[in-house]
Formats: sequence, structure tokens, C-alpha cells
Amino acid sequence: MSDKLKQIINKQNDQQNETLDQSDDIVQLVGFIIGEEEYAVPILSIQEIIKPIEWTRVPQTPQYVLGVFNLRGSVIPLIDLRVKFGLGAKNNDDETRFFVLKQGDDVAGFVIDRLTMALRIKKTDIGPAPETRAGDESMIDGVGKQADRILTILKVNKLLERDF
Amino acid sequence: MDEFQEILQDFLVESFELVEKLDEDLVELENTPEDLELLNGIFRVAHTVKGASSFLNFDVLTHLTHHMEDVLNKARHGDLIITPDIMDVVLESIDLMKALLNTIRDTSADAGIDVSGCVARLDKISGGTGEVDTPVSQAAPAQEEEVASEVVEAEEDELDYDNMSDDDVEAEIARLLSQRQDEDKAKRAAKIAAGEKVPEAPSVSEENESEKEETPKTKPVSTPVPVTPTPAVKVETPKANAKAAAPAKRAPATVEQTIRVDVKRLDHLMNLIGELVLAKNRLIKINDDVEERYEGEEFLEELNQVVSIVSLVTTDLQIAVMKTRMLPIGKVFNKFPRMIRDLTRELNKKMELEISGEDTELDKSIVEEIGDPLVHIIRNSCDHGVEMPDVRLAAGKSETGTIKLKAYNEGNAIVIQIDDDGKGLDVDMLKGKCVEKNLITEKEADNMSDKEAFALIFKPGFSTAAAVTNVSGRGVGMDVVKTNIEKVNGIIDIDSELSVGTSIKLKIPLTLAIIQALLVGVQEEHYAIPLASVLETVRISTDEIYTVEGRSVMRLRDDVLSLVHIGDIFEVERILDSSEHAYVVVLGLGTQKLGLIVDSLVGQEEIVIKSLGDYLKGIEGIAGATIRGDGGVTLIVDVVALMEIAKGVKATVTSESSASQLTHEKTKASDYTIMIVDDSKTDRMIMRKALEPLGVTLVEAADGQEALNILKQGDYNFDAMLVDIEMPRMDGYSLATEIKKYNRYKNLPLIAVTSRTGKSDRMRGVESGMVEYITKPYSADYLSSVVQRNVNFKSEFL
Repeated sequence: MSDKLKQIINKQNDQQNETLDQSDDIVQLVGFIIGEEEYAVPILSIQEIIKPIEWTRVPQTPQYVLGVFNLRGSVIPLIDLRVKFGLGAKNNDDETRFFVLKQGDDVAGFVIDRLTMALRIKKTDIGPAPETRAGDESMIDGVGKQADRILTILKVNKLLERDF
Repeated sequence: MDEFQEILQDFLVESFELVEKLDEDLVELENTPEDLELLNGIFRVAHTVKGASSFLNFDVLTHLTHHMEDVLNKARHGDLIITPDIMDVVLESIDLMKALLNTIRDTSADAGIDVSGCVARLDKISGGTGEVDTPVSQAAPAQEEEVASEVVEAEEDELDYDNMSDDDVEAEIARLLSQRQDEDKAKRAAKIAAGEKVPEAPSVSEENESEKEETPKTKPVSTPVPVTPTPAVKVETPKANAKAAAPAKRAPATVEQTIRVDVKRLDHLMNLIGELVLAKNRLIKINDDVEERYEGEEFLEELNQVVSIVSLVTTDLQIAVMKTRMLPIGKVFNKFPRMIRDLTRELNKKMELEISGEDTELDKSIVEEIGDPLVHIIRNSCDHGVEMPDVRLAAGKSETGTIKLKAYNEGNAIVIQIDDDGKGLDVDMLKGKCVEKNLITEKEADNMSDKEAFALIFKPGFSTAAAVTNVSGRGVGMDVVKTNIEKVNGIIDIDSELSVGTSIKLKIPLTLAIIQALLVGVQEEHYAIPLASVLETVRISTDEIYTVEGRSVMRLRDDVLSLVHIGDIFEVERILDSSEHAYVVVLGLGTQKLGLIVDSLVGQEEIVIKSLGDYLKGIEGIAGATIRGDGGVTLIVDVVALMEIAKGVKATVTSESSASQLTHEKTKASDYTIMIVDDSKTDRMIMRKALEPLGVTLVEAADGQEALNILKQGDYNFDAMLVDIEMPRMDGYSLATEIKKYNRYKNLPLIAVTSRTGKSDRMRGVESGMVEYITKPYSADYLSSVVQRNVNFKSEFL
């Protein structure tokens, strides 16, 4: 029993040390799937992740703006990332989630197909965004390389920026 | 130190109030230099500020006010006639006084502002010559000034005692102290203060009167006060002589009857009430649900009572808090007489300002927002509206231009109207300027109504002034007006007649946060319309709607009302069948009227306005959102914008909404899609087995609700449905009724498959829209043939 405890404590210590050592070089992200691809946003930009709830359509908005929903008394816009990324709309299923992202005073909910995991990734493992579009215009912050896959890291400020 | 701070706070609040009033009074004084009551009032303000500032050791302020007091005192005694030039100096000294007070507020000290120049000029005036020094005298050697001010200060101490007897000083202290003591003490102290202070004011004037043997004209004003025996009457007497007492604002009663509250606390209170209103709406909704479910139960009565009390009290509470936040608009109007006066001299025009309705009350936050717009509008009226005196005379108008500023209540809003009798707005010139500056195209200009052309003055970058002056012409002002007024959900209405004048009306809601709204339904969506804009609602049948020039209209009593369907404005998809009847909500805005066709009226509700946030702000036709009793979000209609949008919407009301059934050409058997709705898995299996040989696509649902959801999602184009009658959640009849509401599924064949064989069951089936009735048990071939018949199954697929 005590051995196990020790092990755990040691492990935790290791982890902490690791964090302390490399806190500068590590980025914490949350990954999610839209369509076929995996994306990620910084964990600190996420206010919360909720299961789909009812929303109200708002007229005269682009198709990817689904409308607004009530999050404990605040009215928050809801954006369908599938549509925004040019994929067809899809009905919500058991794995669909609303990602509530926040930066400063800007808050918005984003519909994603499925959550993957929270992950820590070294800054050195993040490559620049492919140079298809001019730097500021692009919604992509960088490309994170993991052992078995790559994920696209999105710019939260771009996601929260109104572009219509 | 804390005590000092508190006294200081009180001093500042009082002084600012007094100074604000002072501006207005002084301008009035210039017109009626003989008005002794006014003079007395003004004198007392200077005196009060001086007394308090010397008590608090603000030497510079004391020094300045002392000299002001000298001048005013002379004027009061008729030794000095107030000429515009003298008034300039007095006004300058008041500006300095304001600056000093601001410095004190920010730094708790009155250093850093040089008053000597102004004091010298004041001295010169009070020296009896009545002439005004040019500001050159400011350049006098500093040393001399210091000496001078020292002397003056020494003098002033004496004077102070002359003017302010020991009693006065004590009363002043008592009053100041009493304000920061707890309530009981405050009351007691105030009574003492009241007892001593009431005779104080007249005693000052009486002293002076006896000294200088003034005309007896002021006597009637002051004498009754000391005679009055009880404190209660004392309070009333100054009110009776309102004119005399008002400028000084020193009625002792106010000490007891008002408390100053931090605005933040009121704001917080208002937010809490907003939440309470939402909770109340929720409670009412739940109460309705409970009522439906437990009809006839005894506790319902009690619940009902509690709910109505809560909702009643909430409403009252809300009104009460709203009232505490109300301020008379006079607070804003006060500064305009002074502004007009300054502009008159600056622009060399003759202008008069008439103010009425300054008692009209508005929410504090709104009062703060409308100050700037009004300044811009009035400056604009002065600069561009009112012509030069000679031009006016030539045009046969009186030399003096009049600007009228009035406020009045209209329904749930207040209207602030600014009228001038100047040259008016020239529509063609406005259009020309805008085209020249590329603000609009020529085509737009040609199609513009006069009203629309007037609104051009609010375009950013627009200015009619040939040159930028100190006063206006930068093309920013009116844009600010529009933004600020829109920020408080206000409406601007301009009317103008060339060479007669311009009238600008600002219609502003009484409060921002909570409004009464009419909730309407269109298809499956709900919208809230501010009740203030709703004139009436009428129910009409669809054949009462006519089409004129591609727009829908209806006859409403003697008027022709143009109509627009809310669904056309908000791009609502018409899934549900529209019935023969429609409701028309008649919206009114200024002189404009519009009929808004909606599918249903839901009811009236108090709603709390929430913004849609930065991401969705500025959506045309939507003013905000509110959260309803059921937790859902309902959008609030922006009536102003809606009227604008409606102009561009062509009628689709009468034309059959063509969510037409696209008859998809069937090319293979699996193009046929059939839904099986049955709660028994076995039954579903039997049906599946019977139909599978046909090769059609089969979709299963376990009850009516599920079936309806599948239909709503619209993933499939169904050709027929097999429906069991007895199912949990939603039975077959209800399902059929629901389905028939949808335009798209109106002609979808519904085949009942049931073990109910009674005649009445069959009848109900027909009523709810079933086309076939198959009784269990049935043979597989029979089912298959019925389905084939109903979906027009092409034989070549067999």
C-alpha cells in the first residue's frame, strides 16, 4: 500500500518537476474532431464544454451562425464549425458538444463533432501554419505534431472574430 | 482624516449642485438685471461655497468666491448694474470656481489654478467703476499679487465674520457633521440645524439691508420666515416663497428626507431586479404547467395565490427601483442657457432659449447619455440653423432667433424636442453635399424622400458648414447624436421647412433594462415586439389581404395599411401550413404605420433586454434577446429597423407558399422510403418482413414523437408512413394531426395499422388524415399491395 502511495507521490513529483522545468515550452491544448480532421485550441481559452442544448435561430446571419443559446442567463452566439469549415451540416448526436470559448469579453459557443483529449505538446513540436494564406488572415495558428497524428491548432481570436 | 473626507464629499456634492443652478440663474439675471430674488439666490450660492470652503481651508477657492460675493453684493444693493461685460467676468469666475472644485475633487486641495487675474477684474468691478479690465492685467508682477491677495485675505476674515455670524458658522458645522452621523443622530442634529438655520438666511440679507438701507422690496420675502413658530411651518414657508428659496436649495427639510446613494448600488439593485423578473416569468410558466397537470387539486389555489403575489410585488419593486433611478431632465437642460449665451456672443447672433418640461424624469443612465447629443444638436441649431440678425430681418423674421427645448412624456417614452426658427434644411443642398462627398450615389439621392434626406445630416463625415468653425462643421457631431441616441434605443425624427425652421425629436424609452413586450409566433419561432410600438392587433382572414404594386395591404377601418410577413423579414422557413386566418400586429413609429403579419399571438410579457454580444451585434431588425420562462432565448424585434426593411420586402403573403413537393423521379426501388411507426418491435419486424421484398428503404420509429422528430430532421423524403394507433408518448391520431400541419407532408399517405377495429376508431383515423386503415392481423401480401398502391410503386421495379 505504502509502496503504491510512494510511487504515486513520486510520479506526481516527477510530473510537477516536469511542468516546472518545461512550463515555458509546453502548450496545453484540447483536441476535437470536425469532419475527418483533428483540431485543437489552448485549454485556457475554453470556458466550458457542454452537451448540446436548445438554441434560437438568428436571422440575417451566415449559415454557420446557428443562433444564440442561454448559458445560465447569458445569451451566447452558437457557431457550427462544420459549416464554417465548408463541410455539410450534421445532426447532433451523442458525441456532439458545444465548446464555449472565451477571450476577453468575447464569448461564443462552437459546435464540434467529437472531443478527443486534453494534451500537452512541446512548443518545438508545433510547426507553422501552411502558407496558403497571409499570416494574419489565417485561422490556423500552427500544426501540432504528435507521434501518431497531426492536429491543427486554431487561433481563438480569429474564431471569435465576426467575419460577416 | 476620514471625517474630513466625508465632509469634503458632502461639500463637493453640494457645491456642484449649487454651481449648476448658478449658471442658469446668471444667464437669466443678465436678461432681468433688476430681479432681486435671483440676485439674492446667486449671492447666497457664492456665500455658501465661500463659507464651506473657508471652513475646509481651501484658501484659493475662498479667495475667489469672496470677491465674487463682493461684486454680487454690490449688484444686489443696486450699486452696480450687471452689464454683459460684467457678466462675462462673473461667468469666468464661476468657471474658475468649477475648475477649482474639480481640482479639489481630484486632489483634495485647491492648488494649481491661478485666480489672481480674475480676482483683479472682479475687484475692479466692485471698485465701483463698473468697467471691466482687459485680461492684460493678468501680467501684473507676481509679488504684487501676492501682497494683494494677502491683504484681501486678511480683509476677508473680517468680512467673513461680518457676513457669517457665530450662529451661522455653528449651523454650518452642525449641518455638515450631522450628515455623516447615524440616522437617529442625524435627525436630531438636523432639527437643531433647522432651528438655527432657517433664520440664518434672512438674517444675512437683513443685516445687509439694514446696513445699506436697501429698498424694502426684499422684506416681504424674508420677514415671514422668522415669525413662523413651528419647524413644520418653517419648512413650508420657504416653499411658499419658492422663487426665493429655490436657488439656495437650503430648505432644512431636505437633510432629513433624502439620502445620497452610490449609483453603483442602484445599478446592482437594477440588475438583481432584472434577474428577479426572469425568475418570476419562469415561476409563472411552471405554475401554468402544474395547473394543467394537477387540475382540481387543492394546493393549486394556494400556489396560484403565492405566484400572483410574487409577480405583483416583483412588478411593484421594479417600478419602485426604476423610480429611484429617475432624474429630472432639467439636470441636463441646466447647462444650455449658459451655452446659448456664450454662443450668442461668439457667433454674433441673437438667440433665445426657451426651456419647458424640465421636470420630466428619465432613467439616470439615459440622462447621462443624452447630454452630449443635445449639446451637438443645439450647437448645430445655433450655428447652422439660426441666421445672422440682418438676414433674419431681411427675411421678415424677428431679429432674435428662438430655440425651443422641451421634454414631455409620450406613452412609455419621453420625447425631447429641439425646435429652431432658423433657415431650415435644404433637401437639395443636403443631397448635393452628400453626393459630392461620395456618401451616397446620385441614384440614391434621386429616390430619397425628404425625411430620408433630412436623416443625411447624421451621416459620419457630413457637414453643411462651408468652413470648420469653433462651434461646429467638423462633421462628427450629428453622427455622435445618432450613435448615442441609438445606444439608448431612442428614435430620432427630423422635420424641417425651408426658411421656417427645423424640429428634431428624440424619442427615448424611460428605462433601458426591462420592457413590456408582445410575444408573437411565426412557424415554430417566437419573437418579442416592444409593446410601446404596438398600436393594436387584429385578426384577419387571408382574403382580406390585397396586393397593390407587389406589396400586400389591408384595409384597417378607413386607412390602408401596408403589410409585411414577419417570416419574410426574418427569413423564416415556412414548414407549417399557414391557416386561413392571420394576426396583424399594427406597429406605430412617429407617423409611420406598418402591419406585421404573424401566425400567432403568444401574449404579453415583461422581458429583460440582453445584448447579443459583440459577435452578433448590429443585426438588422433585431434589438437584442431575452431569456424566457422556459429558459429559451427569444429575440427582440427592432421596430425602427423593421420598418426600414419592410420597405424593401415584396409581398409573398397571398401567393401560395411554395415549399413545393419536389417530386423526385424514382429510378430504383430503394428510392421509395417508408416509415414504420410502431411501439412493438415484433410488429415492426412483421411489417419490415412484408415490405422488404419490394426493395424499398425502410425507416423505423418507436412512437409518434420519434417519428415526428425524424420527419422534422428532413433526412429522408418519405413516400408513405405506416402508423400504429396505440403508442406511448404520442399516439397515431395525434401524430397524424401533427404531420398534416406541415406543408411539406400534407399529402404524405398515412396508413393506419392497428388492432382497433371499432367504427369510431376508423372515423377518428379518417378525421386525423389517415388514408388507409389496415387491421391486425393482416397478410404480408395485403400490406405490400396497400403500400404499393399508395406510393404509386412502379411495376417495373418488381
